[in-house]
Amino acid sequence: MISCRDFITELGNLLDDDIALEIREQLESHLAHCNSCQVLYDSTRKTLRIVTESGSFEYAGPIAEPLVSKIMDRIRNGCEIAPKEAES
Amino acid sequence: MGFLPEIELPDRESLKTLKRNFGLVPKVYRAQLLRPDLVDGEVQLLDRLLFAKGALSRVQKEFILLVVSAENNNSYFAALHGQTLQFLGVKPDKSQQVTIDHREANLPEPEIALLDFARKLASQPRSFTELDVESLRKSNFNDEQILEAVLMVGLAQLLNCIQMGLGTEPDFKPRLTFPLKEVNPTAAEVRQIIEPDSAGEFVSGEFMSDESLSDPDFEIVARVKNGDTDAFEELVRKHGRRVYRSLVGILGTPEEAEDALQDAFLKAFQHLPNFEGRSRFSTWLVRIAINTGLQRLRSRKSFDSLDEESEDFRPRNIQAWTDSPEEYYSREELRGLVEKEVMKLPPKYRVALMLRDLEELSTEDAAAALGLTVPGLKARVLRGRLMLRESMVPYFSKAGASKS
Repeated sequence: MISCRDFITELGNLLDDDIALEIREQLESHLAHCNSCQVLYDSTRKTLRIVTESGSFEYAGPIAEPLVSKIMDRIRNGCEIAPKEAES
Repeated sequence: MGFLPEIELPDRESLKTLKRNFGLVPKVYRAQLLRPDLVDGEVQLLDRLLFAKGALSRVQKEFILLVVSAENNNSYFAALHGQTLQFLGVKPDKSQQVTIDHREANLPEPEIALLDFARKLASQPRSFTELDVESLRKSNFNDEQILEAVLMVGLAQLLNCIQMGLGTEPDFKPRLTFPLKEVNPTAAEVRQIIEPDSAGEFVSGEFMSDESLSDPDFEIVARVKNGDTDAFEELVRKHGRRVYRSLVGILGTPEEAEDALQDAFLKAFQHLPNFEGRSRFSTWLVRIAINTGLQRLRSRKSFDSLDEESEDFRPRNIQAWTDSPEEYYSREELRGLVEKEVMKLPPKYRVALMLRDLEELSTEDAAAALGLTVPGLKARVLRGRLMLRESMVPYFSKAGASKS
C-alpha cells in the first residue's frame, strides 16, 4: 500500500497522465479509500483546469502601436544586443 | 487542385488579411480568385465575425467552427481550424479530442454547453428551439454571445459548403481525416469505398508529426532574411501578444514585460540569420522571450533565487471543492484571480508552472529552459500547482464558493 506522501509525490505525473499503468493502479487504489487524497487530487485537477482555461496574462487586444513602433525604430536604427545573450 | 482552375495570387488587401490571421491564404479562397471581388466580401465577413474582438473569445469561435466542420465530416476545415487553434495556444491533442467528441475533451462546463448548442444547431436545425438558447443563458452566456454563437454556426456551414462545392484539397495534411465517402471523394477514394481494405473498414484517424506541417511564417521570415526589414513588423504584430504573455508571467509587471518584449524581438531579429527552420519560427521566438525574461529575473537583486531548493511543501487546507468551480465566477473574474494568485507564488515555482501550464512547453523543454533536470522541473511544477491550489481554496471550496 502506498502512503499519502507517496501519492503526493506522484500527483504531478498523475495529473499529466505521464505514469506507468502499475503505479496508476496503486494510486487509484489509494484514492479509493483516502478521502484527503481524493480531495487533493480533485481540487488540484480543477486548479489546473482553471489556470489553463482562464486566458490569464494575455495582452488585451493587439499589441499597441507605440510598442510596435519602438521595436521597429530600434531595429532600423541598428540597436545592438550582445550576441552572447541571445539564443540561436 | 479543386474543381475550378487555380489563379495566381494577386496583390490584394483581403488576401493579406487572411494570411495575417491564418498564417497562409487558405486554398478555399485561392479557389475563388476567378472573382476576387467576392473573396473581398467574404474576407470582410470573416473580419467582422471571426477576427474582430467580440463577445466570444477567438478560441471559442474557432472551437465552434471546428465542431460544426466535424459534424459535417469536413476534413478540410477541421484541419484548418485545428491548426488555427494550435496557433492560438490550444494543444493539438485537445482540439483533436474536440473534433472527435468535445464532451470528452476536459473542457469547462460552459464551453461544453456552447459546443453542444453549436453541434445541435448544425446537425438538427429542425429540432432546435428556444430551450436551446435558454440552456446557454443558464450557462451564463449573454445574448450577445449567443448571437455570435449562432452566427459562427452559420459561418461554418457557409465555408464548409463552399469548400465542398469547389473540391478544395487541404492546405496541409489533416491530423484527422473523416471517412471520405461523405466528403466529395476523389476517384481514388471512390475506388477505396467500393473496394474496402482487407479488414473491410475505412482507415481513418491518420496522424502526422507536427514537424511535417509547414511553418506559417516561412514566407515572412524568408523576406526578412532577404533584407526586407519592414516585413519583420508583421512578425511583431502577429506574435507580440504571445511573447508578452510569456514575459509578464515570468517578470510579473506589464512594464517590465513590455521592456523585455522589445529586447526579445530585437534579439530575434539579430539572430534570424541563424534560424534554420528546425522548429517553427513562433517556437523559436518564444524560447528567446523566455530566456530574455529569465535573464532579467536572475539579474534582480531582491528576487527569491530561481535555483535554491527549499524544504518540502505539505498541503494543509484540504476542503472539498464544488463540482464546477468556474460557474461561480465570470471569465474575467477567473482570469484576474489566476493572475493575482500566480503572481504571489515564489518566482521559481511561478516560472516552472508558467512554462508548463500556461506556455504548455513539454516537461523536457521547460527543464532545458530553466537548466533543471526533468525530475527537478516536475517537482517545482507540482509544488507550484499545490501552492496555487491552496491559495484558491477560499474561492472554490464548497464553503467558500457559496459565499461568492
